[in-house]
Order: sequence, then structure tokens, then C-alpha cells
Amino acid sequence: MYEDDDWVERLRPEHGEREAAITELRSILLRGLSKSLNNRYGKQFSAEDIVQDALIRILDSLDQFQGKSKFITWAMTVATRIGISSLRRKYHEDMSLDAFASEDGFRVQIATEESAVVDESDKSELLEVLQRLIDDALTDKQRLVVRSFLSGYSTDGIAEQTGTNRNAVYKLLHDARVKLKTGFAEAGFSADDVTMALA
Amino acid sequence: MKLDANQIAELIQLTATARSEDTIGCNGCFELMDQFAQAELEGRDVPQALEVVRIHIEQCKCCRDEYDALLTALREIEA
Repeated sequence: MYEDDDWVERLRPEHGEREAAITELRSILLRGLSKSLNNRYGKQFSAEDIVQDALIRILDSLDQFQGKSKFITWAMTVATRIGISSLRRKYHEDMSLDAFASEDGFRVQIATEESAVVDESDKSELLEVLQRLIDDALTDKQRLVVRSFLSGYSTDGIAEQTGTNRNAVYKLLHDARVKLKTGFAEAGFSADDVTMALA
Repeated sequence: MKLDANQIAELIQLTATARSEDTIGCNGCFELMDQFAQAELEGRDVPQALEVVRIHIEQCKCCRDEYDALLTALREIEA
């Protein structure tokens, strides 16, 4: 295998050994992704297609490689994101879009009468607080992200449905979680109290 | 939308494990993930500057999935 500087130089368009370097890189990525993506999200996939997309991205992004990791580690990181994103898109194709419907004002309702969690009476107060915090502390966007995430959508799947980006979706979900945790603390419930509701 | 028991349990888990100190988001995590993986693969202590990656991966299921897949792929090609 090449050294890191060799990889970058050999993959540049003007280099005489570029095709050989691409062939070797393709083989390495194919081996890694065939293993790592297998059985993930329960979807069939073409590792060859994913590697082809990844190679295009890697070759276009060579200048972004800073040499702070091995070249292959960096390239596999790029390829993994492309592969996982592709699998997630397929996974979301069969899912209900109900969580994104706005008719109910993006309400998130704790169905206490049907919930096994609330069979124990000492949990009911905690869940009442949770419902109040969802209703009062979260924004519509935060409720939308929370309920679509709980419906099984990934953050990039939510981003695709809502026309935003994964980072923005993550921040909405993260801020919602922190708001709920803070709200519980203000209501006298520690993180341990909240976790015990799962016991 | 009415949450079922499993969704309520997941929401409670998400709430209880929330950490306000996650500062990098998914984009920042992606930019540093190769360095974080490299340190972990080589058995080195992760530099303090990369601890933000660990915090984000703990908080973000999507990035955690990607990181898990990345380590699997890298271990496969090292084998």
C-alpha cells in the first residue's frame, strides 16, 4: 500500500499511475464497505455503486485531506458517510410520512392510557411533566423533529423531508432534549429519576 | 401523534442522556471523525481536542452508526 503523500499525488489527474491508484483504492473501499454496510438498515445495496460515488467525491476532495489521519482512514470516512446515507434513503422509502403532517400542529401526545410505562403509578407524575414540557417548552419545529425521529427517521432523513440539513435537524433535536432535561430538573426530577422510568 | 410505550421509553432515554456540552454538531463530527478513528484504531489516547467527537457520537445516533461502520470497515481492511 502507498504512503499517504503517494496516495494523494498518484490520484491527481496529471499523474501517470492514477488509474492504478484508483483501482487499488476502489478495491480497498469495496472490501471495507462490503463488510461494514452488510445487514445495516435491512436493505440490499450495491457496494460497487456506493464505492463509485465515493471515489468521485474523494477525487474531488483530495485537497481537503490534511494528513491528520492516514489517507485510507480519511477516504473510508468519506465513503462510509456516502454508503450509510444511501442505505438510509432506501430505508426511509417505505416509511410513513405521518410524522411530517402538520394538521395536528405537530403534537406529540403521551398516550398514557395505553402505555405500559405508566402502569406504575409513581411514573405517572413524571409523564405528566413530560407532556407539559413537550407542549409548553418545545417549538413546533422541535416537536416535528422529535416525533419524526421517534417514528424511526434518521436526522438526515428528517432533513430530506423538511428541506433542511442534517446539522440543523440534529441541533433541533439536541436542543429539545436539553430543554426537556432542564425542565425535568426544574420540576424536581433528576436524570436518575427520569432514567428510572425505564426500569 | 400518539407515542406508544416504546417511543415514550426512547424519548425518556433521549432526555435523560442529553448533554448540553455537545458543541460540534454532525458536520464538525464528520470533519474530525477520521482523526478520532485513527487514534482509536492505533490504541492511542484520544487527544483532548478530539473528545468533542466522543461526546457527539454518544449523543447522535446517526453519527454513532457511521462511526461504528467506519471502524468495522477499517478493521476489515487491516485484517
